[in-house]
Amino acid sequence: MTVLLLLVALAAVPVLVVPTTLALGRRTGWVLAAAFLGMAAALVPAGRDVLRGEEVTWSRPWVPQLDVDLALRLDGLGLVFVMIALVIGAAVLAYSAAYLSPGRQLGFYLWMTVFALGMVGLVLADDLVLLFLCWEITSLASFLLIARSGSGGEAASTRTLIITFVGGLTLLVAVVLMIVATGTTSLSEALASPVWQDNGALTTTVALLVAVSGFTKAAQFPFHPWLPDAMAAATPVSAYLHAAAVVKAGIYLMLRFSEAFSSVPAWNALLIATGLFTAAMAALFALGQTDLKRLMAYSTVSQLGLITAAIGVGTPKALTAAVLHTIAHALFKSGLFMMVGIVDHQTGTRDVRRLPPLWRVMPWSFATVIAGAAAMAGLPPLLGFVSKEMVLGSMLDAPGPAWTGPVAFVAAAAGAVLTFAYCAKIVLGAFVDGERELEDCSVPEVREAGPALLVPAMLPIWAGLPLALAVWVLDPPVDRAVSAISDGGGYALHLWHGITPELLATAVVVLGGTLVVSRRRWLRPRLERDLLPRSGVQLISQAVHGATRGGSWLARLVAADHPGRHVTPILAVLTLLLGVGTLAVTLGTDVPAAQPDLGRPIDAALLLLVALGVVGVCLAQSRIAATVYLGGVGIAVTVQLFALGAPDVGLTQLMVEVLTVTVIMLVLRGLPSGFGHRRHSRRPGPVVLALLLGAAAGGATWLLTGRREQSDPARYFIDEGTEVTGGDNLVNVILVEFRALDTLGELAVLGLAGVAIVGVLATVPDRRSEDGAAPAELRPHPDAAPHDPQAARALADPASNLRAMQLLLRLLTPGLVLLSVLIFWRGHNEPGGGFIAALVASAAVALVYLARPEDRPVARPGLHLGLIAGGVLTAIGTGLIGYAHSSFLEPLHGYVGGVHLSTSMLFDVGVYAAVLGLVMVAFDRLGAAAVEHRTTGPDSPAPPPAEHASAQEERA
Amino acid sequence: MSVLPLTVAALVAGGTYLLLQAGLVRIIFGITLLSHGANLMLLAAGVSAWRTEPLGAEGSSRSADPLPMAFVLTAIVITLAVTVLMLALARIGGDDDTYQMPDTGEDHHG
Repeated sequence: MTVLLLLVALAAVPVLVVPTTLALGRRTGWVLAAAFLGMAAALVPAGRDVLRGEEVTWSRPWVPQLDVDLALRLDGLGLVFVMIALVIGAAVLAYSAAYLSPGRQLGFYLWMTVFALGMVGLVLADDLVLLFLCWEITSLASFLLIARSGSGGEAASTRTLIITFVGGLTLLVAVVLMIVATGTTSLSEALASPVWQDNGALTTTVALLVAVSGFTKAAQFPFHPWLPDAMAAATPVSAYLHAAAVVKAGIYLMLRFSEAFSSVPAWNALLIATGLFTAAMAALFALGQTDLKRLMAYSTVSQLGLITAAIGVGTPKALTAAVLHTIAHALFKSGLFMMVGIVDHQTGTRDVRRLPPLWRVMPWSFATVIAGAAAMAGLPPLLGFVSKEMVLGSMLDAPGPAWTGPVAFVAAAAGAVLTFAYCAKIVLGAFVDGERELEDCSVPEVREAGPALLVPAMLPIWAGLPLALAVWVLDPPVDRAVSAISDGGGYALHLWHGITPELLATAVVVLGGTLVVSRRRWLRPRLERDLLPRSGVQLISQAVHGATRGGSWLARLVAADHPGRHVTPILAVLTLLLGVGTLAVTLGTDVPAAQPDLGRPIDAALLLLVALGVVGVCLAQSRIAATVYLGGVGIAVTVQLFALGAPDVGLTQLMVEVLTVTVIMLVLRGLPSGFGHRRHSRRPGPVVLALLLGAAAGGATWLLTGRREQSDPARYFIDEGTEVTGGDNLVNVILVEFRALDTLGELAVLGLAGVAIVGVLATVPDRRSEDGAAPAELRPHPDAAPHDPQAARALADPASNLRAMQLLLRLLTPGLVLLSVLIFWRGHNEPGGGFIAALVASAAVALVYLARPEDRPVARPGLHLGLIAGGVLTAIGTGLIGYAHSSFLEPLHGYVGGVHLSTSMLFDVGVYAAVLGLVMVAFDRLGAAAVEHRTTGPDSPAPPPAEHASAQEERA
Repeated sequence: MSVLPLTVAALVAGGTYLLLQAGLVRIIFGITLLSHGANLMLLAAGVSAWRTEPLGAEGSSRSADPLPMAFVLTAIVITLAVTVLMLALARIGGDDDTYQMPDTGEDHHG
């Protein structure tokens, strides 16, 4: 239960960040730090149980069909990583409160806490699917934290995302392979499965996939470039994610899976070779950096390489070293990152070439950085010394031929020489060697940072001193962590091991490092340049660019802007399906007789009208004529719907027809008056396909419909529908109760169409507003004005032309509103309902718009989108009420004062609002918005007197 | 014998023809006709022999099938949304020719 509460508390933190940042601004960091420390303290009892050898678990079925559980487990390894995430998180968040610029800093705190949730979830997950999800959360949160750091961060964050997602994909494949191979999604069961001993090829494959995933997160070669790249992020982000958390997620993954893979030769070889190579390479690069933060990034890559190599060795002793070094590194590196932030904060730069000698003015910082750098260099008596000795010593146990151990040992020691050198460079470069004067800095006066900045940065670094002197206090957790992933453990930690090979190596390292440091004035110009012709960042950019070009080349093979190219194959397949199917059924089977009395005389009359109208739409050369024909067809179809006994459908169709034609007219104003003779309009293909598909559709309708008794669903609705729902109008109750989920989906489509219209039109420059004048085809037709004086008058003075319309509007609007409410109310029992009522109200909106003498929006900006969002949310909210009874969207019924009420009416309100919102969007964006700019421009004409009248009508 | 299949055929044929034309407005008109045809086909699936409005508790063997009606009602409103969205797209640029896209200042083949 404790683990669940921890996760719930962590999940609540990001939610609470929103109001807290509003009240406290950047000082939210203090509250969050206290919260993180509180959670760490609350975990102590459970931690004691874990140290006694118990496991704290919690599990609930999540996707029972797939056997996926929400399974959490806290063991020794998890405890170490949770504590790192919480305690270092607390230090960094406290530091952020003083470091960030004043302001709300919502994004920073939000994504930092979301990241902490993902990190702790990853460590606690005992289910492979959950593990993968949390892994991706850490990737995304890390991406967002880098991306929000300004223009420099965008490209870097994308590159980071690409690399970490490669690791996400390999992890996904590994997880799927593991689930398939072991038949369980439980992490602990999968790792303990005998499959890994029996099937060598599969084990190697999964081990390599997991190793690659770990490499991407832990920034191992060749995936390391993202970490220096990510230094674009704010320093607290680096101190937390890039020292203690996100990179340690990769380490955690490799540690966790080494339970199954520590004896796989490919795993050992890959981890040791990659780790040691990365350690030495990154240490060399670190030495060449002048930006202290990038230097830290490369040093992190290097240190993680050492840990990776130790995990690769895989013996209990090596794993002990890896866990201990993970703890030590999290402490000193997060502290050092924060110290670099302090240097940056106090002097305005973190470039060693531009820094003055700071040691006099910033003595506390100087001492702290010395301690941190000494820990990183592995000098006694600090925790870094203990862990580094162990890592070096464990290299001698490297599996494989006899030579691997000594070679690995020497390689690690060589890397350590460079580590010593760059650690010295941090101290000397930032505090001693600087050639600039203090007065030359961009800040007025360089001085020591205040305690609010210094204390959180000093604590993790100085904690390394007592922890090294009393290193036995770390014995139980480290021992538990190692015994959780291997069958050994019990390596007592000591500051002093006696004279060992690794101690001798340290002596050599210090000597060699000192030599390098003493020659630094000669070395620096040779190292502080690009050591390779291309940086990793450039390679990634080139790869992304190449992939994009390849993708658009592939797309061009099939891309065609003209929709006809795309729909023709679909229509052809449909024709074949319907035509061949109809023929086959007719010829090959005994077709049942049609029901008698299928037709009515009116159907024939309507067929004639529809056919004439269709021919008219197809042949019309003028857009307005085609629209008139289209409206005619619509009305004929509407009558047909009524004739089929579908009054709700008919009413809806009628209103939709009116609104569609109105919107078409709005759009036609901006288009040429005729369709024009286009080069493709006279081809025979479309005609043939149209005739064939028409025949096939008609044939299918004739053959496949009207040849059965009333269906069971129809009988059920007709016989039981009213009783079940309390509503007489079966179509309406189907829409809002039986099939409400469909309707909800439809609402979402409506809403999205509205949002899309707003979005699309907002991104396209409106050509009508650019020069303030309408284009030629929008101006009154040149022939119209001179020949027809009445039309000319109407165009010149639209206000007086619309008097009659406005009078009509005043009389009609109250009636339409009343009618809309009435139709809504009676919808449950008689033809009507939310759709039709909203469409009637939309007609009122259309009238308001049409009665305006000039183009103006009918609604305040934002109202339509608000209606859409409100409608969809109301519908979803109503659905949630259904949970009170049984399930989503289950309607609740009741009688209030003798009137039957149902929550489905509330659902209908959502329908109403969303439909109205969409129609308002259509009128405002397609009709008024285009001219909006012009009338608000500097030379806009004075508003005509009629405006007051229409404004009043709007209120009415 | 019903003539409803012929109405469907006329609507589908006209809609298909327009859908394959070049101008976006004609394509939109084609979609409108096609959706009319599809809606009538759906309603015909409920068997046009029974045409009493499906209202009230006095459900009878002459009542029309309400389920296709609910489908069609949903379809009509979705068609409205699609039509309005496509009309908004037709408004971009000075013409609705789908062979020559208006210049939006973006590079589509970059």
